[in-house]
Amino acid sequence: MTPLALGCLLISIGLYGLLTRRDIVAVLASIEVMLGGAQLLLATYSAGVTQASAAQGITVIVLATVGAEAAVGLALLVALVRRNRTRTDQIEEVRG
Amino acid sequence: MSVTLLWWALAALIVVGAVVVIAAREMMRMLLGLGVFLLGLAGLYAWYGFELLAVAELFVYVGGVLVLFLFAITSMGRDSEGRFMERRLDLGALGISAGLGVVLFVALQSALPSTATAIGASVEDTATALLGPLLPYFEVVGIVLLIALAAALAIIGREDGR
Amino acid sequence: MSLLRDMPTLVVAVPLLIGALLLLGLRFWGRSAPWLALIGPLVAVAVGAASLQGGSSGSVRWLAAGDSALTLGYQVDGLSAIMLLVVGVVAACVIVFSIGYMHGDRGFVRYFAILSLFTAAMSGLVIAADLVGIFIGWELVGACSFLLIGFWYEKPAAAEAARKAFMVTRVGDAAMLVGLAILWRATGTLELSAILGSVGSLAPAVVTTAAICLLFGAVGKSAQFPLHIWLPDAMEGPTPVSALIHAATMVAAGVFLIARTWPLFEASPEARMVALVLGTITALGAATVALPQTDIKKVLAYSTISQLGFMFAALGVGAWPVAIFHLVTHAAFKALLFLTSGSVIHGSGTQDLREMGGLRRTMPLTAVAWIIGGLALAGIPPLAGFFSKDEVVGSVLVAAPWAGVALLVASLLTGAYVARATRLAFFGARRGTHEAHESPWTMTVPLAVLSICALGLGFAGPSIAAVLGAESEPLSLGLAALAVGLASAGALGGWLLAADGGAREGAFRPSVAAVWSTARDGYHFDSLVNAGLVRPVTALSRFTDSVLDRGAIDGIAEGLAKLARAAGGLLTRTMNGDGQNYSALVAAGAIVLLCVTIWLVR
Repeated sequence: MTPLALGCLLISIGLYGLLTRRDIVAVLASIEVMLGGAQLLLATYSAGVTQASAAQGITVIVLATVGAEAAVGLALLVALVRRNRTRTDQIEEVRG
Repeated sequence: MSVTLLWWALAALIVVGAVVVIAAREMMRMLLGLGVFLLGLAGLYAWYGFELLAVAELFVYVGGVLVLFLFAITSMGRDSEGRFMERRLDLGALGISAGLGVVLFVALQSALPSTATAIGASVEDTATALLGPLLPYFEVVGIVLLIALAAALAIIGREDGR
Repeated sequence: MSLLRDMPTLVVAVPLLIGALLLLGLRFWGRSAPWLALIGPLVAVAVGAASLQGGSSGSVRWLAAGDSALTLGYQVDGLSAIMLLVVGVVAACVIVFSIGYMHGDRGFVRYFAILSLFTAAMSGLVIAADLVGIFIGWELVGACSFLLIGFWYEKPAAAEAARKAFMVTRVGDAAMLVGLAILWRATGTLELSAILGSVGSLAPAVVTTAAICLLFGAVGKSAQFPLHIWLPDAMEGPTPVSALIHAATMVAAGVFLIARTWPLFEASPEARMVALVLGTITALGAATVALPQTDIKKVLAYSTISQLGFMFAALGVGAWPVAIFHLVTHAAFKALLFLTSGSVIHGSGTQDLREMGGLRRTMPLTAVAWIIGGLALAGIPPLAGFFSKDEVVGSVLVAAPWAGVALLVASLLTGAYVARATRLAFFGARRGTHEAHESPWTMTVPLAVLSICALGLGFAGPSIAAVLGAESEPLSLGLAALAVGLASAGALGGWLLAADGGAREGAFRPSVAAVWSTARDGYHFDSLVNAGLVRPVTALSRFTDSVLDRGAIDGIAEGLAKLARAAGGLLTRTMNGDGQNYSALVAAGAIVLLCVTIWLVR
């Protein structure tokens, strides 16, 4: 199948996990899946629009950004762990 | 032909890994699935000839993010070992997820050019691009990383829990 | 002189401005208010006098929007000039009189402000050249009447009376509006000269219907049967108000209207017949009701209704200049009588005839004025009423003998009730307890002025007729003698009736007493209207209010609010702080947006 289909499939899978999973780590991992799918789409299709090198360059930049996001997310996770609230339904307020 | 087969193998790897991520009941198993997913993705990038991307993927994700996950989980203490993670079948979520995927597919299909074949881009060219036309974004992402670092430190705070 | 003649709109503008000024500075004006208010009527007198030989006409733009503008035409002819003189003189006397009468009243300035506005409206009414102008003035005098009847608004009876007056005249006004509409439809304009000129080319049915509609407007305003019930109640207002509005001017507007639109009535014998019948019934009926009254003002009120009936009867037989003549003399002597009664009330502290008596000794000036007015009313020569009433009765007798006879009987009764009231109030032993005293000069001077008018106006008959452009008939001596004889006989009867302070009335045989009290109650007409009209309408409005308005409409409005609240409550449940829930919503939204995009691109 085309990378388009693959990318969309990954996004679907990741979304399902995001909506369904109860543990924060799982949610974060699902987000990574979604983002992976998005990056795939970006890389393969921008190559058809612009120069391949530029496509790759852009995707690398996005990748770096996503990595930063993951770092911050895990930092949040650690902060939450400290307060013993690692189930998704325990984090209803953004405070502290 | 074998090239295509390779593509399919990589794709299968990716999908399996993703499914494990969303379905695994144990923490470690999920992380394993995530690792497989990321590796497969790197391989796929390589298949497409995105050398830089593949390697970056490996370094940043597999070597960085995945390890980060492990660190975070182990620093969680007693709870982390053999955590039993719930999973459930939620039809609403299923509907939304499938729906989004389908709609996205349909939307992009008409908007984007047809299947990209193995294109490939050399590292040198990419580097030239990054430091050339893409320079602004390149610099910006550097700043983003810096901010993320600071943010992570700020969120974690000090050992005594402040 | 010519300035006044060329700018008749001053009669409206000046009092209007003064009235507004007074209203704006209610706390400010104080004792100077009446003198300010006096300017308006004096202007009216001046313009009227200047225009007797022919005034000016023109139009005033009063609402302009770009090129098109609403213009109101004015046209001062002999009729307008006479009316202006009447309004001006009576209003001036009333205002001066009120200085003393309303002294110390909390609403002193407000009173004169409204009087000034009334002067403006009435003047506007009589100089208007089209039916719109007349209607505007008509409604405005009605509004001022409402404000003045209910001047002491804290008194429930006064507020009631004001409302009643407004509503009853409204019935007439509605008919008048229909008449206006008919005329508009038929001629395409509301300008009097155009309409009256084209009467000959209109279908008789149209003319008759329009005339009768206008007639009913006049019936309401002039308190003729069956729309007469408001005038006795209007006596709740200050007595000078009764003198000005409910004796001399506003109630005369009905007669004026018919005179103004005379060609319509000339062309419609049916309308004239209706006027004649109603006028005669009213003249006779009201006179019978005036006789048993115990309140001095009510006597005068019913007397006014009766005299207006005389005028309507004259109109009914086509003698409109005669009706106007009687209007002028009636304005003089009825205003005189009302102001005199005001002096009586002020001096003796009561309105009830049974509590008065012997006032001629303590209030001699007032007594003389009253007697002059009373003689004029009864039609005794050489006072004004004799000449005008004689002409009225004469014209009616010739054209419709049955009506003429009725009017003669009414004249007899007129003499009777005048004499009775006179004796009860001014002669005999003092029955009341209040110390009676004569009134100050501000109140007696106007009485003197009006007395002179009542004495002399009778001889102005031919002049008035000339101004109106009509021939004046010489008096028929036989009729004159008959009328005077009947009036005197009636007076004698009334005089005897009032002996011993009205003791005879208490000693009636039961059957007579029953008739007497029924008559005093206006033959229970009021109760009839109340039961037949007022109660059902009130019940209907209560129903509309509770069931329709509060129930249905408010129900819908509140229902919508409740619906919104419920919907809001439902939507609130989606905001539960659950991050994954939010993500789901975001994803769902994204799906929708993508669908829209796909659909748009296709």
